[in-house]
Amino acid sequence: MTTFIEHWRIALGALRANWFRAVLTALGVVIGVASLVAVAAVSAGAQKEVQDSIRRLGANVVLVDGEFISIGTGQSASERTITPADVAAISQLPMVTAVAPHQDIESLTISAGRNQTTTRLFGVTPTYADIYNQAVQQGRLISAADVDFGRSVMVLGLDAQANLFPNGPAIGQTVRVGSHEFEVIGTQTRKGKLADENLDNRVFVPLPLVLRVLLGGPNTKSVGVRVRSEGEIEAAQDEISTLLRDQHNLPVSYADDFSTEDQAALVKEAQRATTTFRVLTFALGGIALLVGGIGIMNMMLVAGRERTREIGIRKSVGADPWTVQAQFLIEAVVLSSLGGLAGALAGIGATRLIGLLAGWETLIDPLSLLVAVSVALAVGLFFGFYPARRAARLDPAAALRYE
Amino acid sequence: MTADGSAGIIELADVTKLFRQGEISVEALRGVSVVVRKGEFLAITGPSGSGKTTLLAILGLLERPTTGSYRLVGEEMASLNETRRAHVRGKRIGFVFQAYNLLPRSTALENVELPLVYAGVSRGERSKRALDALGEVGLSQRALHRPSRLSGGEQQRVAIARALVIRPSVVLLDEPTGNLDSASAEQVLAILEQAHRGGATIVMVTHSTELAERASRNLRLADGLVGSDEPTARPYALGGAAG
Repeated sequence: MTTFIEHWRIALGALRANWFRAVLTALGVVIGVASLVAVAAVSAGAQKEVQDSIRRLGANVVLVDGEFISIGTGQSASERTITPADVAAISQLPMVTAVAPHQDIESLTISAGRNQTTTRLFGVTPTYADIYNQAVQQGRLISAADVDFGRSVMVLGLDAQANLFPNGPAIGQTVRVGSHEFEVIGTQTRKGKLADENLDNRVFVPLPLVLRVLLGGPNTKSVGVRVRSEGEIEAAQDEISTLLRDQHNLPVSYADDFSTEDQAALVKEAQRATTTFRVLTFALGGIALLVGGIGIMNMMLVAGRERTREIGIRKSVGADPWTVQAQFLIEAVVLSSLGGLAGALAGIGATRLIGLLAGWETLIDPLSLLVAVSVALAVGLFFGFYPARRAARLDPAAALRYE
Repeated sequence: MTADGSAGIIELADVTKLFRQGEISVEALRGVSVVVRKGEFLAITGPSGSGKTTLLAILGLLERPTTGSYRLVGEEMASLNETRRAHVRGKRIGFVFQAYNLLPRSTALENVELPLVYAGVSRGERSKRALDALGEVGLSQRALHRPSRLSGGEQQRVAIARALVIRPSVVLLDEPTGNLDSASAEQVLAILEQAHRGGATIVMVTHSTELAERASRNLRLADGLVGSDEPTARPYALGGAAG
């Protein structure tokens, strides 16, 4: 035990004597560990974002989009091709468990008293909350009765609420959309961001009000369709396409005047590209760590040579090969672990900075810090072993003669 | 066994040492037998290349003999592995080199403590014993100085303190005064003589006949062989070989 503490004292003393070189040597490990920590944090953050997005989009939901842009066909363009009959027919499909027709108006300016804000307004039915995991924060959500009776009521996203009612409660207050007045009945829980859209800036009213009062006509642009299981999503898309072509009496030569998409799949697809990027960054972090390790090995080899005489002296007064090896190995491990710790701190800093500058969600897993520091320690052990062994095997008589 | 039947601290029998360097091989020792008994002060002399430094390195377990037997305090050394040899060095052998060989970044006290560190002596006892040893060589006041702030003579006295602190079975010295002016050399010799009077067994390599005369016995090497082995004119009472 005495000698073990002594090893540490000797190793630390040797590092202190050459501290600048030690710092430069450890820098490789610092950079390596920092990039590993940062990449892991960004990666975990992105993973969480994907999961959150999928949760927000709803699981197993096919979005039917009735916006039809006419290019190179004789068909006339339309923003809303989905009829109430279409919605009813889709809901009859065997693998479909719920349908939520909805209609949005983007960049709509609404106001409350002197405050106004630009939002995305959604006309919805109660099923919307069900499919898209909408939950109530205060008050209540759009009910079946609101839809049936065409009540002028509104549910606010939290940011929309903050913009319109910065100083007081929103529920019971009046929001104006053009000349139409809505009574606020509730707010929805915080949803965060999806891609570039702030989901908390949305407001919700009963679907009939959007269709009849604000836009005119019975058709909707969108229908959210929940499918029984993930495996049936593609089949559902095919069935819905066949059904809607039939419903819309489209001749064979006509293009679909709607589209279906699996939004979760789109998110996952978008994620795949960034995953490749991350793997590359991870590899770079690994390479930096490797270079750092080689740096440590180089320094320890140089140190072994510089201190040949010292090793000879130590051996002449009773240091056995194991003791010399331990001394050098501890020196390498101290260097790499300190580098690893500094790297972990730098990695946390870098992660914060990335989160701040790029606006990405990041998630620092304590386990990843532990792994990173352990890897650094392993690097020190691995790359310190050979120089330590070399020092330990020095012939004492030759070492003492060394000038 | 010695001629009179008493066991020696050092028993060297027919030791040879062959150095190979590529094609060339040099026979530094060609069959040396010598017994050193407890309390002796042996000077090994001889011209350059006679093998005296090689002999000292073998005695100090820094080199292995090519053939022959070396028993230290009754234990055969030839068959020991490197770890065991290091432990024997640390326990039984005190070295003093011509170039002092102190650790430059450590204080005088830390240098003297070093053998005790490897012997596993606790910290408190270590510094007490090291301070005592420094006191014996008259350097208590310089304990916290680094070698670079000590004179050559002082450095060599620190080295002697380091050699004596483990109370070794034998102290080995290689030209201990070779780098010193005559006044410092005299101080060093006085300390050695004092240690010898205190019962220490000493083996010293020197090319100086004047220095060799201060020992109790003089072994002269020539061309890798023992040329002569005689008590000196002024052997100390403790010297066993005098008779």
